[in-house]
Amino acid sequence: MHRFTYITMQEDRLLPIGEVARQLNVSIDTLRRWDSAGRLPSFRSGPRGHRFYHKSEIDKFLNEIDVISRDWAEASQPIVLNSDVYCQTRDVFQARLETFQSQLTRISSIEIVSLVTAIAGEIGNNSFDHNLGNWPDIPGIFFSYSIRNRKVVLADRGQGIFTTLKRVRTELFNSSEAMKVAFTEIISGRYPETRGNGLKFVRQIIVNNPFSLYFQTGDAELYLKQGDNDLAIHQAKTSINGCLAIISFEGLV
Amino acid sequence: MIIQLKNFGTTLVSRPSGKEAWLAFQPVLNQISSNEVIIVDFDGVIVLTPSWADEFLTPLDEKFKERVELHNIDNPSVKATLAILEKH
Repeated sequence: MHRFTYITMQEDRLLPIGEVARQLNVSIDTLRRWDSAGRLPSFRSGPRGHRFYHKSEIDKFLNEIDVISRDWAEASQPIVLNSDVYCQTRDVFQARLETFQSQLTRISSIEIVSLVTAIAGEIGNNSFDHNLGNWPDIPGIFFSYSIRNRKVVLADRGQGIFTTLKRVRTELFNSSEAMKVAFTEIISGRYPETRGNGLKFVRQIIVNNPFSLYFQTGDAELYLKQGDNDLAIHQAKTSINGCLAIISFEGLV
Repeated sequence: MIIQLKNFGTTLVSRPSGKEAWLAFQPVLNQISSNEVIIVDFDGVIVLTPSWADEFLTPLDEKFKERVELHNIDNPSVKATLAILEKH
């Protein structure tokens, strides 16, 4: 009984707008716009009528696909995924990517469709390229999306960027360094093949369009959004072996 | 000759499919005369990534060099891909 009460209170904790902006990785102005548009309603409280949000609503908004993908990527023992989000092979991923592309076409311009599908395709295929024959436990990727929330999530339980790049760049020390190299230099973990453009391509598209990207590999995480010149790589709270990518695309009609 | 990329698909994203396209097209490429211009037409392509392009366009460019011409490159992912490959 006690425990139940405690959990309920925790889940319904009230969050100020600044905290919500941080959690959702958007600006306070964006939240005000979403409030006016009814996309994410707040309620006013206190003498000045500040905006507050229920934590449970924010968790819902953050969408289950984020949670499921992170749980799957983090779990020490493999979790069985629903077949609708699990792409064991590249062919399955290609088919679902094309379905996503066609759904996005209904609400968005060809420019947005083309670029969002390209970066999702590049990230998903990177997972297959770098882990072929070397998957630690589960082959394939998590791929899901929420058109309503303008979000695409991809994850793998592969070796991660640090392990694959360290083979060709032995001086690399940790995931943060490896992530920086992957997003800034033309290099491949499959040397002597001439390749390794993928994440530079993703970065170029994100910073030049109304998109944002959360990317984690190992214990390194990165937030990237339109207009960012520098890479803000931080230590993540929890570690994953493979990669996790969340693409948000705004600027839709 | 003209290579219509849309004949390989309109969502050209993976390395294996780029490599497959390159290999499948070899018999045609082997018949090209020594000074013939090769036009790569991107018309109808909706999504292109560097992974696919690196397996098809890069070897095409290495083999035929200045005889390769790129047409209808106004799609945003095509533009972004070509920009990255040029830096390479």
